Amino acid sequence: MATTDHQHLDPSVVGKFHFTRELIEGPVYRKYQKAIRKFWSVEDLDFTQDALDWGAIDDEQKRGLLGVTVRFLAGEQNVTNELVPMLAAAQALRRFDWTVYLGTFLMEEAKHAEFFMRWHKEVVGVLEPEEVAQHFLVRGKTIDPSGRFEVRDVLHEALPYYGRRLLETTLEGTEAEIERAFVAFSAAYNAFVEGVLTMPSYEIVIDTTTSWNAFPTLRQGFRLILMDEGRHITFGTYACRLLIEKDPSYEDEVHRVFDAYRGNIVGLVEYQKAVPGLDLDKYQQMKVRHYKNRCREMGVTPDETLIEQILDPSIDFVVGVEAG
Amino acid sequence: MKRWTCVEAGCSYELTAEDVPSAVEGAQRHIAEEHRSFELEEMIEDVLEDVSEPHGIDLYDSR
Repeated sequence: MATTDHQHLDPSVVGKFHFTRELIEGPVYRKYQKAIRKFWSVEDLDFTQDALDWGAIDDEQKRGLLGVTVRFLAGEQNVTNELVPMLAAAQALRRFDWTVYLGTFLMEEAKHAEFFMRWHKEVVGVLEPEEVAQHFLVRGKTIDPSGRFEVRDVLHEALPYYGRRLLETTLEGTEAEIERAFVAFSAAYNAFVEGVLTMPSYEIVIDTTTSWNAFPTLRQGFRLILMDEGRHITFGTYACRLLIEKDPSYEDEVHRVFDAYRGNIVGLVEYQKAVPGLDLDKYQQMKVRHYKNRCREMGVTPDETLIEQILDPSIDFVVGVEAG
Repeated sequence: MKRWTCVEAGCSYELTAEDVPSAVEGAQRHIAEEHRSFELEEMIEDVLEDVSEPHGIDLYDSR
């Protein structure tokens, strides 16, 4: 049944419905559909070979690999916990397609955390917080000898900070204030953490396990997670682009976030240097590509000084890592 | 036609393809072969430009 006579409809009733033809044909709703189509389950993965491989590598290899995987185990739990402000803001901004997509985003982050939990439990034999924490490489031990850059804990410091700001603004602020806080949060979460900082870490694990010809399920898990992450990152950068097109002054928020945590990007941090024998220059080169891509997706001008610093071989952090 | 440009430091490679899947495949091949890295499908799709004519030294590839 269809009618074109809508004049008699009560707007408060019409307002209870959010789907439109434009929405279901839009890029964010397509990401939601793709997330449903590409669904994968940790329960389908077999960790048997990885457990055998764990028994065959030496202690230095174990320390190096665990330095990265434990970071992911903590990180995926943290990003699962920190996503709620974005969901609340999407609702406040009346972006139902964002809300629908973010439902899959949150589920996927929880699943990524589950993957790392299962891998550490089945392969390494650790699960309880006290068991895994002893393998966490402490950020305070990574320093810039020139004193120019401070390496901060962006994941566990910036996301809660920008998330709280977004949540408080969502409850109390104007639409423009929510949009501005959304850009800052998304720049930190999707562009900086997911889209630039973490990308070399995925490659480090994939390159390491490929060169060792070991840990096929860890590699498979990383590839599956990356499929999801591609949607997460480009959702965030697309949202930033839309908002920045609406008010170009929001671009400043992106640069402020990247500037505040510049030290985490210009050099490789402790867990990224934990695996011996890797070509670390490659990961700096690719970091530039990811930064420029994120800027291209958001429609913002890249900071050329940041690019020069990433590529500057004289900027090399000293890593006196200790298990924490 | 769709155009994709590589932004790896020091690289100016670009390709033009007839459709999105071909552009994604070509971009991923370039990143793997030239930069020993990978690029995710969504990240390629989101920066594709619409172009009216094939562009580059040979028909689809700037190499």
